[in-house]
Amino acid sequence: MRTDRLVRCLRWVSAVAVLMTARVASGQASQGLDSATAAAIAPIVEQARAEKLPVAPLYAKAREGQVQRVPAARIEAAVRTLADRMRAANEALAPDASEQELHAAADAIKSGVPAETLRAMRKAGGDGSLAVPIGVLTQLIARGVPVERASMEVVALLQKGAVARNFIALEESVRQDVLAGRRPDESLDLRLKGIIPNLPQSPGNVAGLTNASTPKRPR
Amino acid sequence: MHDINEHGDELIGRIVSELRTLPPVPADATARVLARVDAARESERPGRFSRRLIISLPAAIGYALAATLAGFMIRGAVPRRPEPTVAQVPNPPVAESLGGGTKIVPASANRRALQEAPVKVQFVLDAPRAKSVMVVGDFNAWDGSRTPLERDSTTGVWSALVDVHPGRHVYAFLVDGKTWTLDPRAPRTKDLDYGTQQSVLMVGLP
Repeated sequence: MRTDRLVRCLRWVSAVAVLMTARVASGQASQGLDSATAAAIAPIVEQARAEKLPVAPLYAKAREGQVQRVPAARIEAAVRTLADRMRAANEALAPDASEQELHAAADAIKSGVPAETLRAMRKAGGDGSLAVPIGVLTQLIARGVPVERASMEVVALLQKGAVARNFIALEESVRQDVLAGRRPDESLDLRLKGIIPNLPQSPGNVAGLTNASTPKRPR
Repeated sequence: MHDINEHGDELIGRIVSELRTLPPVPADATARVLARVDAARESERPGRFSRRLIISLPAAIGYALAATLAGFMIRGAVPRRPEPTVAQVPNPPVAESLGGGTKIVPASANRRALQEAPVKVQFVLDAPRAKSVMVVGDFNAWDGSRTPLERDSTTGVWSALVDVHPGRHVYAFLVDGKTWTLDPRAPRTKDLDYGTQQSVLMVGLP
């Protein structure tokens, strides 16, 4: 009789331990969110998790709104939109997008980059990470380069074997030019002329023998 | 050879006979053993807690294991924050947040993971009158408590080194825990989700 009581007691202890562990685990993920925001985004997070999408960016988006004192309803809408963008990004970069690539692609979609561009980038970029090229594409668009033009040039650069440092150099050069008063699309034209001849798969180069180098800034 | 074998056999015979001889038993040994047996019987009487505990011990261990296992499964289902990669930056760049990362620490042999390994980036803000400065951005999940800046007492300049993955990132400084402050050294962009201005950081490989 006493054994039964003890066993029942142990069952309760086990159940409480399981519940406490679950609370601690979910608390770690939603740390920093007030209860109203956490509850509002919970269904979106659960659905994303069921689709095997990373949920950390969703919590981060909610925290971003909270730190700027945005109302909970707007935070929920932003998180929902981000989940949709991540879903679209995941499909475009299939079969195996990294979390960094998804983050970059979701941002790019927000800037108006079509899913077809992301698919073309994945095809052209092989197994290399697209986080930097996609980020540079987004930033070129943010600077004022038209979406179609920027998309076309970035895909072309990937096809010619451009790597992260080429993209970063391009973005930095365009930034300097725009600060100096040049139009963004004009600057892109100019800077591509400096980068493309040095890429491994450019017509003037023997593949694999030429290092892609940072373009020289004009004096 | 023959002598050695003869002596060896003799020696082994003596050892065996010594071992077969029982050691002397103290006179009170029997009484002590019986007293211990009685004590053990007393403690195992029905109704005693210790006996119940011994009986239910396997069940208790089973439940504890199940609870631990369930806890681990739940923890595994919830994504955890990425552990910061240990990086060495002998000479970090000063006062440059745009593309300021210098050293990369490979996280794995995988090519993509290698290209996405975090880079140390230095964030700098001139705010001599501030009491506290934190950097919040998508690289630290907008959690300012994770990245407080340290004040240089001689210059009043706040700075921090942060692990940031290559790519485009947006951020801002939180001065005194509430004032949203953009980085004067970095480009700006308008966030379409919340409508606020943010600083932009492009991080590449060294």
